[in-house]
This record gives sequence, structure tokens and C-alpha cells, in this order.
Amino acid sequence: MIGLEHYIVVSSLLFSIGFFGVLLRKNTLAIYMCLELMLNAANLALVAFSRYHGGMGGNVFVFFIITVAAAEVAVGLAIIVALFRKRQTVEVEELNTLKD
Amino acid sequence: MPTEYLQQIAETNSWVAIGPELALGILALLLLALEVLLPKVAHGAIPRIAVIGQLAILASLLWGGMSDVGTGEAFGGMIRFDETGQIFRIFFLITSVFVSYLGMVSLDRKTLPQIEYFHILLVVTAALMLLAQANHFVMLFVALETATVGFYILVSYFRDTVVSLEAGLKYLIMGALSSAILLFGIVLLYGAGSNPALMGSSTDPMNFGNLTRFLSANPADTLGLLGMLFVLSGIAFKIGAFPFQIWVPDVYQGAPIPTTTLLAIGSKAAGFAMLMRLVDVFAPLGDWMYPLLSALAVLTIMFGNLAALTQRNLKRLMGLSGVSHAGFLMLGVIASRTVEWAGTAVMFYLFAYLLASIAVFAVMAHIDGASDSELSLDDLGNLAKRNGFLGLALAVGIGSLAGIPPLAGFIGKLLIFVATFQAEQYGLLGVAVVGVVVSIYYYFGVIKAAFFETWRFSEDEEETAEPVPGSRLGFFGKLAIVAVVAGSIVIGFYQAPLSSMLAGG
Repeated sequence: MIGLEHYIVVSSLLFSIGFFGVLLRKNTLAIYMCLELMLNAANLALVAFSRYHGGMGGNVFVFFIITVAAAEVAVGLAIIVALFRKRQTVEVEELNTLKD
Repeated sequence: MPTEYLQQIAETNSWVAIGPELALGILALLLLALEVLLPKVAHGAIPRIAVIGQLAILASLLWGGMSDVGTGEAFGGMIRFDETGQIFRIFFLITSVFVSYLGMVSLDRKTLPQIEYFHILLVVTAALMLLAQANHFVMLFVALETATVGFYILVSYFRDTVVSLEAGLKYLIMGALSSAILLFGIVLLYGAGSNPALMGSSTDPMNFGNLTRFLSANPADTLGLLGMLFVLSGIAFKIGAFPFQIWVPDVYQGAPIPTTTLLAIGSKAAGFAMLMRLVDVFAPLGDWMYPLLSALAVLTIMFGNLAALTQRNLKRLMGLSGVSHAGFLMLGVIASRTVEWAGTAVMFYLFAYLLASIAVFAVMAHIDGASDSELSLDDLGNLAKRNGFLGLALAVGIGSLAGIPPLAGFIGKLLIFVATFQAEQYGLLGVAVVGVVVSIYYYFGVIKAAFFETWRFSEDEEETAEPVPGSRLGFFGKLAIVAVVAGSIVIGFYQAPLSSMLAGG
């Protein structure tokens, strides 16, 4: 029997994978996917909580999060593409113009 | 049932009460429409229309004053109107007016499209104003993201320069990371508060009132504690508190000067607007929250001041000193647990910080050369001689940030320190005093660069043909700088009007 805790464990795992991915990956696009993973981990937990505890608030919030994530992706990819045109790279280590 | 429920919610909608935000949104759309409709030669008038529109909205807000604040909750509990929210609305609008002015100065030198900058600025301001009044985590998150996504664009607006784009990317990654952490915290709080097996649970635990009720019934709930920790981490990013301050120097340096101003003032104040609301919400968890905030405040003050000591780049210096200001403001928030008027002190400090920062950034906008990210202390050389007006404005701004009496910044720091003393946080007070002493060193480095250094080197070769700083200062530019400088001086001497407004009198 799959219960609430299974969903929460999966969601926490996804969130951790995303979090450490952001910290450890070197490619900007991979980092960006990890950020999306974190948002979707939150979505999964929201839906699970909403289903098992009753109440629609969590389900509705998910739609807001999806919308916000879409806006964030649109702006983020635009910035990455503009930067790639200038520097011909999306590797974090090579993006080091800003230094002390 | 659903229709009746929806009707009930619809009856609590009070559109008039969020009139200023709606007006800002309409103004933002109007700017885009005008760009299409007006002939190209008349496009220079559009930023002026933006400023005039904002001033009109600001005037109507001030005219209504504190008495006109909508009462209680509206929009089905999404928004709660109170005096703190009203003051933050005024604060964000004032910030936005000055940032629009700086935007006009900075964008004039670029061949980039201009109108979109003001459009996004207005949308961000409206989102920040709604954020300060949020009473529900959905409202808080959506308003926060509207502002943050706008910030991504504003930071990378100078897309013909690599530094601006790189700063935009760094802000994007760090901002999205902190949003995700904040969001996961909200989800955990939702999961804890909606559990029907626990006392005080409700079907809508994202409402601040319901959440406080739940937390006071279950102050030791693990999910609730974790959620609080995550939410506070997300906010610490916004205010630039340790250990979430790593983005500050890079992003401040790379962003266009008007955006840096908005980040330094608007984003920080938004963080504190959220923090001041949420410390009330999380009050039942105070035994965990306040030690955490105290530790963060100490580290923030120490880090900000020590890192700023060796800085030569002006924008990085302002960013790191802003980190230490966030630490001082956190002291006020911590003191508000026991000292009732500490919230007022925080807002007074924010207003003093607003006036002083605008003065400094306005001077920077007028002396920068082709690349505004390379502006260093050396560029200030002889500023007092080359343009006495800008030199004076810089001295007053920096002096107020350093807390030199009798400027506004001194009174702000004094109020925070007295509140900390009354809250009997003597350790925190000691750290803060050391922080202030250290900060005076680097602030005076700026003043020294502007006033004294060149006197020593006056026998060197003649000034090369640099552009005269402030040659583009128009009448309104002078007026704006005079306004913030006079504000810093007048509030330093005579606090009655501002403090009575902040106290809701």
C-alpha cells in the first residue's frame, strides 16, 4: 500500500537531487534543469498532501507554481542564450568576468 | 455549495484598496502602448510620463495617509491591510520614482530599447507593494516571483555587455534556488498544518492566521520547524543575510546602476517586509527562530563589514556594506520580540538607508564612464573639486550610511541600538557597535578618495580630458539629489513627522 510518506520521501529525494545538482553541476543548462526539479518536487509534495489531508488549496497552488516556473524558464533561457552569443560558452567555470 | 463559497469570497474583494497597485499596472501597460502610438521623436517623453504617473500615485497614497488604509483582510484572506503594509507601499513607490530617474540617466547613454525598462520597473514595484501586504503564502509566493522574474530582466538589461548578462545569470540561479527553497518550506508548512490528525489544523493552513493558530497548538511539530527554517532561508537570500549573501557583490557589480539601486533598496526592504510579517506568524516557534536570527545577524554584520574593508570597486563596496546594513536591520527585527516599537525603528532605518543610498547611487550614475561596472574609488578622485555639488551629495550619503551625527543614518542606528539594549541583547549590541566602528573605516575611504587624495597629488600632470562629472545633471537631476540630501539632513535633526507617520499617528 502506497501511503503519504512514500510520496514525501520521493519528493524530498527529488528536492535533494535538484539542490545538490545546482551546487555541483558545471553546465548552466544542467543547473537550470535541477532548479526545475526542485520546483517539481514541491509540486509533488503539494499534490500528495492535498490528496491525503483533504482540501483543495494545495492542488490550486500547483497551478500557480507551474505558471511561475514557466515565466522563470522563459526569462532564464533568454539570458542564457544571450550570454552564449557573447561568450560561446555556458560552462560556469568560464563565466568569470565578475571578480574582485 | 461551490457557488455560494465563491460568492462569499468575491464579496471580500476590495479593488479600491489595491488601487495604487492597479494604477501602476495600468501605467506600465500605457507606456508600452505609447511607444507604439507616439512618433519616434516623442519617445523621450515616455519615461517622464512614467515618473509623473508614479508621483501622482504616490501623492494619492500620501494624501489618503494612514487613515485611508483598507481594514482587515480582503480577497478571501489573501491580503491584509495594515499600517506597516501602507508604509512599505509608500517606501517602494519612492524607491521606484528615484530608480526611474536613475534609469533615465543611465539608459540615455545606451542604444538599447528604453521603454521596457520602465515597464518592468513599474510591474516589479506593484508586485513588491502587494508582497508587503500578503496574508497568505500563495499571495506571498506569486508576488515575490513576479518581482524576482522582473529583477532577472532588469539585472541583465544591458545585454550588449557581458558583465550585465553574467550578473543576470548569477542572480537567476541564486534567485531561483532561494525561491525553490522558500517554496519547499511553504509546502512543508502546508503539509504540517493540513494534517487532520493534529490539533488546530485547517483546510487552508497557508493563510497566516490559520498557520499561527496551528503552530501555537503544535510548537514542536518537526515538519513545521523544517518549513520555518526553509522559509527563513529563502528570505535571508532576499535581504542578503549570511550565508546567502554570496550573490551580492557580483550581481551588484554587473547590474546597471539603476537596477543595483533597486536591488539594494527595494529587494532588501521587500525581504524585511516579509520577515516582519513572518516573525509574527512564526511567533509560537520563537524559541528556535530568534536564536537562529541572532546568529545570522551576528555573522551578517561581521561578514559585510570585513569583506567591504578591502573593496576598491564602488558597487561591490555598496553591496557588501548593504549586507552589514541588513544585519543591523535584523537586530531591530529580533528586538521586536520584546520591544514594541522596534518595528518602527526598523522602518525608520529603512527610510534613512533609502535616502542615503539614493544619494550615493545618483552620484555614481553621474560620474561613471563607459562601463559602469568598473567604477572604483580611483574614479572619485578630485570629485569635490570637479563638481562640488556631487561631492557634497556623496559626503552626505556616505556619512548617513556610516551613521555620522547629525544625519538620518545616525538616528536610525541609534534607534536600533536602543531597541536592542531594551531587549537586553547585550551580546548583539556589542557586535553591532564593533561593526559600526569597522564600517567607518571603509566609508571614510570613499570620502577620502573624493575629497583629499588629489590634494596630495596635485603636482601630477594635468587632468586628462575626462568628461566633466555631472555634466548631464539637469534641473530635475539636481532637484532629485537635493531632495534626498536634504531629507537625510532634515530627518537627522527633526524626526517628529516621519516617526509619527511610522508609528501610525
